[in-house]
Amino acid sequence: MTTMTGTTSAPSAVTAAPRAARSAVFALAGFEARRLLLRVPVLIAFAVYLAWIVWRTRDSFDGFPALQDADRATQGGPLLVGLAVLLCANHAVLRSRRHDTDRHFAVLVVQPWRRTVAHLLSVVPVTLLAAVCVAGQFTWEALKPGAVGHGSPGELLVGPMSVLLLGAFGVLLARLVSGPLAAPLLIVFLLLFSMFSTGAGGDGWTRWLMPSVGENSSLTLPSDLLGRPAAWHALYLAGLALSVALLAVLLSGGARLWTVRVGVAGAVALTLVGVVGQSRGVPEETTEARTRVSVTPEKEQRCAERDGTTYCAFPEWGPRTDDWAEVVDDVRSLVGAAVQDRQLVVRQRIDARYGLDGDAALAPSARPGEVTVGTSWGGNRVPEFAAAVAGVLVTGKEETVGAMCDGRMVTVMWLALADRPDPMADLRGVRLDDSDTGSAIVVSQTEPLRMTAAHTELVRELLQRPRDEAAAKVRANWVELTAPKVTTDRVARVLGLEAPEGEDECL
Amino acid sequence: MSGGAVSAVLVRPVARTVPWRTIAVGGGLGLLLAAGPRMWGDGATDWLALTALRASAVAFALGAAFLLDDPARHTTAVVPTRRAVRHGLRLALVAPVAALWWTAALLLVPGSLRPPAADVTVEAATVLALALTGSAFAIRWGDGTRPGQAVAGFLLASAILAPLFSPGSWALFVTPDDPKWALSHDRWTLLLCAVLAVGAVCATERARRAGLRGLRSPSGTSGPSRA
Repeated sequence: MTTMTGTTSAPSAVTAAPRAARSAVFALAGFEARRLLLRVPVLIAFAVYLAWIVWRTRDSFDGFPALQDADRATQGGPLLVGLAVLLCANHAVLRSRRHDTDRHFAVLVVQPWRRTVAHLLSVVPVTLLAAVCVAGQFTWEALKPGAVGHGSPGELLVGPMSVLLLGAFGVLLARLVSGPLAAPLLIVFLLLFSMFSTGAGGDGWTRWLMPSVGENSSLTLPSDLLGRPAAWHALYLAGLALSVALLAVLLSGGARLWTVRVGVAGAVALTLVGVVGQSRGVPEETTEARTRVSVTPEKEQRCAERDGTTYCAFPEWGPRTDDWAEVVDDVRSLVGAAVQDRQLVVRQRIDARYGLDGDAALAPSARPGEVTVGTSWGGNRVPEFAAAVAGVLVTGKEETVGAMCDGRMVTVMWLALADRPDPMADLRGVRLDDSDTGSAIVVSQTEPLRMTAAHTELVRELLQRPRDEAAAKVRANWVELTAPKVTTDRVARVLGLEAPEGEDECL
Repeated sequence: MSGGAVSAVLVRPVARTVPWRTIAVGGGLGLLLAAGPRMWGDGATDWLALTALRASAVAFALGAAFLLDDPARHTTAVVPTRRAVRHGLRLALVAPVAALWWTAALLLVPGSLRPPAADVTVEAATVLALALTGSAFAIRWGDGTRPGQAVAGFLLASAILAPLFSPGSWALFVTPDDPKWALSHDRWTLLLCAVLAVGAVCATERARRAGLRGLRSPSGTSGPSRA
């Protein structure tokens, strides 16, 4: 017996040991991955995450997403999964200590550092699942008929990478502190810390050290003007996750292995490269391009002519021309013969000079017949645009619409809303205080418009009449209704409405 | 011996089994979090201070969730002292510590940013009561000797998910400048009372019915080990 084992197993043991250890690691990793996926916190986190995706993506971006914004919107949800994975990976590593079975492992071939590797590998399937969720959410946005623009792989990787990072952190934490309270306390700390750092709006390079970096604005820019170091940030996260993972291996007895030591050094170097790359601010070319796009948009745009209207859009927004044309045609179908054939230019304009943080209002266009349209669409943006089109058709120039404070406002608002599916809801939507009585500011892409209580009263009355009857009245009296300085009372008389009771003073 | 005398005798051994270290770690982090707004300086806001205090209360409660962990539970099940007394003793030992700790946490927040103390205290007490009731519940309805970890996980999940997903009309997580602040704290008080009532019920021993369960010895000397 002894001679048999001595002669047959000795050579095979030499060659088989690493392979056996490796397959043991993979077997353990598979087992731990299964347990991790079935732990209650992870299941709850995934359930909540999926519900959040469905609930949010159904009507996100008003159905007209710009994919360069939609990719960023996938980053928050996976953090919840990441926290659950942190907790459960930490518990999994500490399980043997909890059940007092640590000493039994001394007799196994799998050394502590290999066990750590297996625990780290067990986080990978959860990460992949999170990646599938992120991909699903983004694909959903991309498949919406109103989607424009381009997503960035760097931004999309942030979600899964944060899950990997937090999972690796849970394993590292278990190797550092063996108490069961460490992970929950760390999570509370991380949550509050992230609130502090976002609440204070950290500036410069420190902002980018967080896993997911949001922007405090709803401004949509062309994808090449975002100026976010998305790829560098993904590299930073990958490097950080790798560093944390290898550090955990190092701490659990892997320090003797030179590959681990070299690996830690390499991963830290990778992280530092990512940090340097993401901290360089907005590149010079981007700043120049932003200025170019803001000051002389006509040089960057492609124009298409359709039914007497020219639509000039940035290349990524080309497909949206149809939606704009629909609104313009609706408004045009209601106006008087005098301006039915007026040449209009619908030009997309943005102020990108201050990046995503900037929220500066655009100056109204000074060119006759030019209407400004922004980069977002859907929801209230549609009646706002309709009001801008109606304003230019009535007054001739966008600049004069903002300063207008007379009876023409009634015509403008009626033209904008009459063909909408639910005019009263849109009326509330475009007004700053969401009201449908009294005076209010009407929001617009450029200068806001002002409605007095009397205007509101007349617009409401006009909208309640049959559309064709009102349209005939407006068309027949077009010249009088659109004459500068026409009084509200005069407009009421011309349209056959009762004189308004509300006051007629602009704010 | 009368009940009071038994309790007096029990104080010292129970004090030794209370997981002071865990509570100290939770409380320590809690104080650190509460000191956050002061360390932050000028950038701190009312909202940040309130959030820091809430997080700090959660941190202490996470530590306190381990209070009723008792590895020797199955051997003490046969002693004549009722569970309510044993749990009550532990609670009595920790209560002054918790009160002191919370006072310190409140004082760490700069006076100008501090939310109304009494109201926030109700919130903190509710979280603490939730942790302890969770442990008592797990012990009453389960066989585990150390429910702390699961209860801490549950508490943590609730603390993260409740502010995210509780309907705005419940108004549980409001700021002091919100008109619903007073209403909100009436609700917190109600919640605290409800949690305490459940906790009191959980502190009693479960009446075991005759049958298979009744035949199993809670001491673990017969039948399969449930450690």
